[in-house]
Amino acid sequence: MPDFPRSRALSSLVWMISPLILGMATSAGAAGAKPAPATVVPGAEQVRSTTLANGMKIIVWTDRDIPNVALYNWVRVGSRNEVPGITGLAHFFEHMMFNGSSKRQPGEFDRLLESQGGSNNAFTTDNVTVYQDWVPRSALDLTFDLESDRLANLAFDPKVIESERGVVYSERRLRTEDSNEGFLAEQVQATAFVAHPYQFPTIGWPADIQSWKLEDLQRFFKTHYAPNNCTLVLAGDVSADEIFALAKKYLEPIPRQEPPPPVRTTEPEQLGEKTVRVEREASTPLLYLAYKSPAANDPQGPAINLLMTILTDGDASRLHRLLVEEKKLAIDVSGAFSEGFDPGLTWLWLTLPEGVKVPEVQKVLDDALAQAVAQGVTEAELTRAKNLFASTFWKKLATIDGKASLLGEFEVFNGDYRKLFDAPATYEKVTREDVQKAAALIFQDRHRTVGILQSPPAESAPAPTPAAPAAPEAKP
Amino acid sequence: MSLKFLRPVVALLLSAMWVNVAAAAAAEPVGVKIPAHQRFVLPNGLTILLLPKKDVPLIAFSGFVRGGALADPAGKPGVGSLVAGLLDRGAGKRSAFEFADAVAGVGGSFEAAAGPEAISVNGQFLARDRALMIELLADALMRPHFDADEFTKYRDRDIEFIKSAKDSDPSQLLSIYGRALLFGTHPYGRPQGGSERSLAAITQGDVVSYHATNFGAERTTLVFAGDLDPKWMKKALTTAFGGWAKSKAPAGPALAEPPRISGRRVLLVDSPGAVQTYFWLANVGVDRRYSGRAALDLVNTLYGGRFTSILNTELRIKSGLSYGARSSFVRGTVPGEFAIQSFTQTANTAKALDLALETLDKLKHGSVEPAMLESSRAYVLGQYPTRLETAAHWAAALADLEFYGLGNDYIEGYGAALSKVDPGEAAAVTADAFPRPGDLAIVLIGDAEKIRADVARYGTVTEMKISQPDFSPAN
Repeated sequence: MPDFPRSRALSSLVWMISPLILGMATSAGAAGAKPAPATVVPGAEQVRSTTLANGMKIIVWTDRDIPNVALYNWVRVGSRNEVPGITGLAHFFEHMMFNGSSKRQPGEFDRLLESQGGSNNAFTTDNVTVYQDWVPRSALDLTFDLESDRLANLAFDPKVIESERGVVYSERRLRTEDSNEGFLAEQVQATAFVAHPYQFPTIGWPADIQSWKLEDLQRFFKTHYAPNNCTLVLAGDVSADEIFALAKKYLEPIPRQEPPPPVRTTEPEQLGEKTVRVEREASTPLLYLAYKSPAANDPQGPAINLLMTILTDGDASRLHRLLVEEKKLAIDVSGAFSEGFDPGLTWLWLTLPEGVKVPEVQKVLDDALAQAVAQGVTEAELTRAKNLFASTFWKKLATIDGKASLLGEFEVFNGDYRKLFDAPATYEKVTREDVQKAAALIFQDRHRTVGILQSPPAESAPAPTPAAPAAPEAKP
Repeated sequence: MSLKFLRPVVALLLSAMWVNVAAAAAAEPVGVKIPAHQRFVLPNGLTILLLPKKDVPLIAFSGFVRGGALADPAGKPGVGSLVAGLLDRGAGKRSAFEFADAVAGVGGSFEAAAGPEAISVNGQFLARDRALMIELLADALMRPHFDADEFTKYRDRDIEFIKSAKDSDPSQLLSIYGRALLFGTHPYGRPQGGSERSLAAITQGDVVSYHATNFGAERTTLVFAGDLDPKWMKKALTTAFGGWAKSKAPAGPALAEPPRISGRRVLLVDSPGAVQTYFWLANVGVDRRYSGRAALDLVNTLYGGRFTSILNTELRIKSGLSYGARSSFVRGTVPGEFAIQSFTQTANTAKALDLALETLDKLKHGSVEPAMLESSRAYVLGQYPTRLETAAHWAAALADLEFYGLGNDYIEGYGAALSKVDPGEAAAVTADAFPRPGDLAIVLIGDAEKIRADVARYGTVTEMKISQPDFSPAN
């Protein structure tokens, strides 16, 4: 489908798991696969940062390979900052950030940026909203002008709110209502949490999409879009000094604000397995498992990531081999530790072949997970996982976009961008015992939510289309 | 989680570009240069290119074997795609698992996919694993096992992936239905990955025979880019591939040029319960050597190739009818399609289709304003460098040049060609390459009961169910 649609609502689900997880090993005593090379990240000494008087942090990585710049503005607000009635607002707000200020008409942001050779996008997750510009260095001044203008002077045109509402609803229909995968993931996430706002789908519930008000947007802007709630990262054909000067000129005048209130709710411990069943026409049934897991900055994070790589990454992974190749009980197995500010979920997503019995799959899967807890993983598996992290790390660092993205992730979720450069050593230190402990921590039945999607029983009438009230008519 | 059904058809559809932008919006491109590299042909006809680029300790490869879906036996689309998928599922001394483990064990990657005219291979390894990389690549291309169990498992899974795509992302099937409707019996009309029905009829023998006939040194080109020593690579590659025989048959006959269609053909694919209609409007466009390429890129950028394009402005920005709308050209050895693609809520199907057709009509009858042309030029030039940033980008770009027999000027002269495009040339390609709204193949995937009446006015409608095991109602 069109892939420049700006803005994706990423519910920490299927379409992207933030790869905070990159690491590389410096040595490993495994038999079989070779250890990853000992390497220092080249150019790491080129990274500089400063904090403006208004509290906005700026991080710059000079890389003059191509005459371009990648800019990421990380705003610490996502669907976890929502409450019932305004679910989806963080993501909707992100759309509205392109739709005009007191100085500029709706659409001018895109028109100007594109006319100087730049493109842009943005995404919203449970935790953050991130704005991205990819521009030739000749468009730097304009880029700072546009970014500062929308932070300082955002304005809402009621007509645009209505048409943008239609756009977001269309996104929801594409990814959730017309998608068995999206639909089940949303149900599992909503079932897994009883108190914490991670239960809200980032795209928003249909009734809320239809009800967001101008005042909701205004309040949201005032509360969350303070410069001291943003981190700006640039990588590319720039010097730190020129970027700091641009930031001082354009961004520093925006006044600091009261920090947004913290998310108070913590999720109480889950004390028993939950199951959610969805009946929708499906040739290929789905079985999703979501286990309660720690937050992104948990010291066990690297071990959990390596565990999930061992279990689900690629054709050599343990669960793929067992369920897809040997038992033919699944056509696809994937999984990930979804990392956020608060304790969240570790997912397993299975797509099953037509006609297979779900309980049979679940039994084999449960046995395999129990085995990982009881016996851990092999040295060869751990080495493979570390090497996969190493190559992913290098591939990302080969582009200015990857550099800006990784610096921001480490700064925002781990508290310091420099931890990016420690990641190799951090991952290298993970032992088989650590991975086994991680398995024991994660794979607890009483901490999980099981989601099953399959066709309704043959004798009953087909399930109606999921409740999807008509979207408001768009007013051109 | 990905729907693996749509395996990436990488190098061959990648439109490679590179320009250094000097300054400002209307920048003159300067010094566009493909990095120094070597090209040599082994006595058996294998072509090899080596491009050193040492920013990160990786080596990327990109290659192709001529044939692809074009070489599928009559009535069995999908054989080439299965061959591609099975290359690494047991090869040389390794079983399927051992191969996967060898690749992942060192953090490498290996992918093969069938495109319309070639099977492409792509991957990346840490530089220190270069010997293993070459061994695995040679095994996969020259010594695949095509073991019976692996074949059945893989084929059956491919069938399930098509079903899974129908369950969770029908929009990715649009162009497969569309090409069958637009190109008919021309090879570009075949589903490259096969259909549920065609896959079920393919045997292990078909796959073995495809490989025996269509794989060989003289049909193959391999490009390596990254942290490599050309001397070492040349020696190792000569040893690994020097003994490879030529293929038993020459690469297939020249492709006929597919005719453009006149009038409208409409295919309605019924997906009961769908809450949106996904649509695709197309006609035959232009080929890879099209002389107006730079102007075409600029006009398509304005029409449907960027966020503020005419199409996206009408269907998304101004009306809120859709999350997105875009247009693109597929340019092969012979003309592929120009296609518009979007989607909208079921009740707005006609409204969105009318708007899309209106924009096309306006494009055909209007003219491109100089200011818009400048904006498009700046955009294409400005985004260009990010498409040739990494060693993997360069490997794919060089493979692309080799496949289509394009000279270095295709990359190095592109910036200059862009800067020369004037409104007259833009008008000429608009007239020549973009279809009239009255001449279109139209595919809609949606809830037929709710949209059947609306759709009738766009042309003679043929209807089929999304559950049918083919991508065309004719079967």
